[in-house]
Amino acid sequence: MALLDIENLSVSYGSIRALRGISLKVEPGEIVTLIGGNGAGKSTTLRTISGLLSPQEGQILFEGKPIASKSPHAIAANRLIHVPEGRGIFANLTVEENLRLGAYCRKDTHEIRQDYEHALELFPRVKERLWQLAGTLSGGEQQMVAIARALLARPKLLMLDEPSLGLAPQIVQLIFQVIRKINAGGTTILLVEQNANLALQVAHRAYVLEVGKIEMSGPAAELANSDDIRKAYLGGH
Amino acid sequence: MPTCFATSDSESCIPLTRDKTPTRLTKRTISLRQFLRLSKVVGIFLVAATSLMSLGCQSRVASTDEIVIGHFGSITGSEATFGISTDRGIQLAIEEVNAAGGVNGKKVRLITYDDKGDPREAGSAVTRLVTRDQVTAVLGEVASGLSLAAAPICQENGVPMISPSSTNPKVTQVGDMIYRVCFIDPFQGSVCAKFARENDKIKATKAAILCDQTAPYSVGLQEEFEKAFTAGGGTIVSKQAYQAGDQDFSAQLTSIRASEPEVIFIPGYYTDVGNIALQARKLGLKVPMLGGDGWDSAKLGQIAGDALNGCYYSNHYSHEDPSPRVQNFIKLYQGKYQETPDGLAALGYDAARILFTAMKTAPSLSGKDIAAELAKTTGFEGVTGVISMDANRNPVKPAVILEMKDGTPRYVATIAPGE
Amino acid sequence: MADFLQTLMTALAIGSLYALIALGYTMVYGVLKFINFAHSDIVVLGAWLSYSFAIRALPLVGLDAHNPATPPPIWMTAGIFVAVLLLCSLAGFLIERLAYRPLRRAPRLNVLITAIGVSLLLQNVGQLDFVFGASPQKMPALLPNWELPIQFGQGESIRYVVLPLIDCIIFAVSGLLMLALELLIFRTKFGTALRAVSFNTDFAALMGIPVDRAISLTFMLGSALAGAAGFLYVLKFPSMNQPAHSVWVLLGLKAFVAAVVGGIGNIRGAVLGGFIIAFVEQFGAYYISSNYRDVYVFSLLILILLIKPTGLLGSPVREKV
Repeated sequence: MALLDIENLSVSYGSIRALRGISLKVEPGEIVTLIGGNGAGKSTTLRTISGLLSPQEGQILFEGKPIASKSPHAIAANRLIHVPEGRGIFANLTVEENLRLGAYCRKDTHEIRQDYEHALELFPRVKERLWQLAGTLSGGEQQMVAIARALLARPKLLMLDEPSLGLAPQIVQLIFQVIRKINAGGTTILLVEQNANLALQVAHRAYVLEVGKIEMSGPAAELANSDDIRKAYLGGH
Repeated sequence: MPTCFATSDSESCIPLTRDKTPTRLTKRTISLRQFLRLSKVVGIFLVAATSLMSLGCQSRVASTDEIVIGHFGSITGSEATFGISTDRGIQLAIEEVNAAGGVNGKKVRLITYDDKGDPREAGSAVTRLVTRDQVTAVLGEVASGLSLAAAPICQENGVPMISPSSTNPKVTQVGDMIYRVCFIDPFQGSVCAKFARENDKIKATKAAILCDQTAPYSVGLQEEFEKAFTAGGGTIVSKQAYQAGDQDFSAQLTSIRASEPEVIFIPGYYTDVGNIALQARKLGLKVPMLGGDGWDSAKLGQIAGDALNGCYYSNHYSHEDPSPRVQNFIKLYQGKYQETPDGLAALGYDAARILFTAMKTAPSLSGKDIAAELAKTTGFEGVTGVISMDANRNPVKPAVILEMKDGTPRYVATIAPGE
Repeated sequence: MADFLQTLMTALAIGSLYALIALGYTMVYGVLKFINFAHSDIVVLGAWLSYSFAIRALPLVGLDAHNPATPPPIWMTAGIFVAVLLLCSLAGFLIERLAYRPLRRAPRLNVLITAIGVSLLLQNVGQLDFVFGASPQKMPALLPNWELPIQFGQGESIRYVVLPLIDCIIFAVSGLLMLALELLIFRTKFGTALRAVSFNTDFAALMGIPVDRAISLTFMLGSALAGAAGFLYVLKFPSMNQPAHSVWVLLGLKAFVAAVVGGIGNIRGAVLGGFIIAFVEQFGAYYISSNYRDVYVFSLLILILLIKPTGLLGSPVREKV
């Protein structure tokens, strides 16, 4: 059974249809990436899965159970964690408080402590900034906090929206290394990226989204070699 | 499915369903154009509503075998006893006149509206009396500010209005339809000042004033007191103000305490005066306090208790006046309401009786004819004294000074005009 | 000196009340970004509930309902206080649930107008005869009328500073409530969640925080503080105006000014603002003239908004992008 199974999903903003019946699956242990241009509906897909938007049609099954009508906090409590575009950092809280909020739904104090240490090991730079207000961090540091915070929820499925956006190339490298590490630790990841090159390197499978429809899908390596994709998204290299 | 009225611009669309649309769309503010459109809609609605209401108002016409008069007063609110006492005085007069066969054979009926002591409510109550109930004459109010709010409405509609107890001179200046049966503040202020200067127990040369700056009555009386007190050789050492309903007077009273007055003049209404007296005594201010007829309520003693012992106020009558006119009225009033009438009840009674007298002699019940008769009033034997209207529609009559003793007012002196 | 101390003490007591009320404005603004105009009516509700409970409870211990010869036992006073807090927070909960939540996704102007409507509704319902009525009432004394006169100077120039028990109680109770709120907001998991909601409701929901419940709790907390302010207010000023009296509106308005002066949305700012407003009002009235006590307050508002539009402590942390 797929961890996440989306069928025929349609979403509108007012009269604008952002998604027109997309279907996709994420199997346990995978990194699946969703690539496509601006306004293709990538973020809309994630926002709908995490409950911030309601679909007009279609269903979303998480671990076999429908979640399309649930509120975002109930979905997060099921350990389906969404790191939104722009990182979703609480600028008015300290880094430490941000991290603690990641474990908001958990009661297992001992394990939370372990996960906390583990997340800080992944991002030593975050550890140095624990008492700073999160709003004072650089973009890269904020992205690290956002991912570390998501890990504190012990996600079954981690959805990352544009983790590379606006970051320096070295930081992007670092973030993607961590994404690999997290996946190697057994966490399933659904990755939305505009940087298709990077995304296809790290992902197992990929879906290509264009104006609200899935245009193509398949193993990431195959898509990376497809001529159409190279032309449209990889800068023709 | 969300619908959208704006066709071209998706950002200006407000989803009508309650689904979870993104915050980006909901955090928008309205544009000036939309605001103007909204105001227009609201405006049209208001115009429509008011015209509908006024249509409904025209439908009632008074029957011909009775005379309807209106009373507006503060039946509830901070000055509730003003309205209630006045209403009782009026009711008593109506009962009397109806028992004696009415006014020229017609029974008198009273409609009373509560204005809650609020000028806006007073305005709408009088509008209702004049336009919907089409009363022959209006009685009210006690507080000058409320009479001033209502008088223009009566004047414009040609309905005679008699204020039983608004002492501010401006009230009758509104026009020739507006009368009163009480003395006015220039007289009251000088009475208080004279008493403060000359009474053996006070003999003050230094006075402080604490005035309700929201009440025309209080402001007017303060000015008159100040004029008369300084003309008599005294000095005003501190002038402080409050607003009707204020709860905390400590800043004003601390300031007054520092100026070391020998008397404090508080031309306010009884609820505030009671609170002021309590707080003044707490701050160790022990000098006598002095006020006007706004103090006249049984509630004053209930609020302030013995904090007001040795304080004085000027009033329109005293229930201790032995004259048969007064004692008769008190007997009648006590028989009906089981309480001693205050000055406002007596003035309400006098106002109604003066009105009936004018109606009896007037050639018709038109507003003009009644007003003309009212203007001719001379030597009317009222409970609150002999009433003659002067050219400005104000009666000339004496005032009494009362002293608070354990919560009840006791007669001290009568001061006649020109004395 | 004596007069200065007297004014100072009044300012502290009244400042505490402003601060308690301002907290409610600022908390609701913090999470929902709108001014809850019905907040001052919760203060009125607290005041009038205190009265209603008191006149019913006093006869139970054999005291006259309106003029008790002695104050009731302390447990009764405390019981009335707790009951007022609970009912006021229930009222806050219901107002949010019934009036504001249906408009959660509506433009903010709609919510603002609704808030004014709720305020008018509460004022006028409160004036109905079977609710509180439209006449002023006198709050019976629930606490002993202790006063500590401190003497200054001698002979002719003798002066007293009167320190009433109620002022100390107001200061202490509000202080404790504000301390409790401070701890709750800044030291607990729930408080962290609340601050997260106030930063961004969507992000907070993604953390698994039940946003609607957090907003309900915000309203309940703010309303409980307003209820406490109402209770303390009528103990200090027992002569109560009718529910729709403009003096209540002015009290709410000044507390709102306090919240804005301190930086709306900022909890510590609301407390600071409350005291500043009370000090300006009391000292202005004493040293300059009592005719303009409201003018001082609103001039200060204009001044602060000109110099620092976000209020004294309101320095919004900008998110780096």
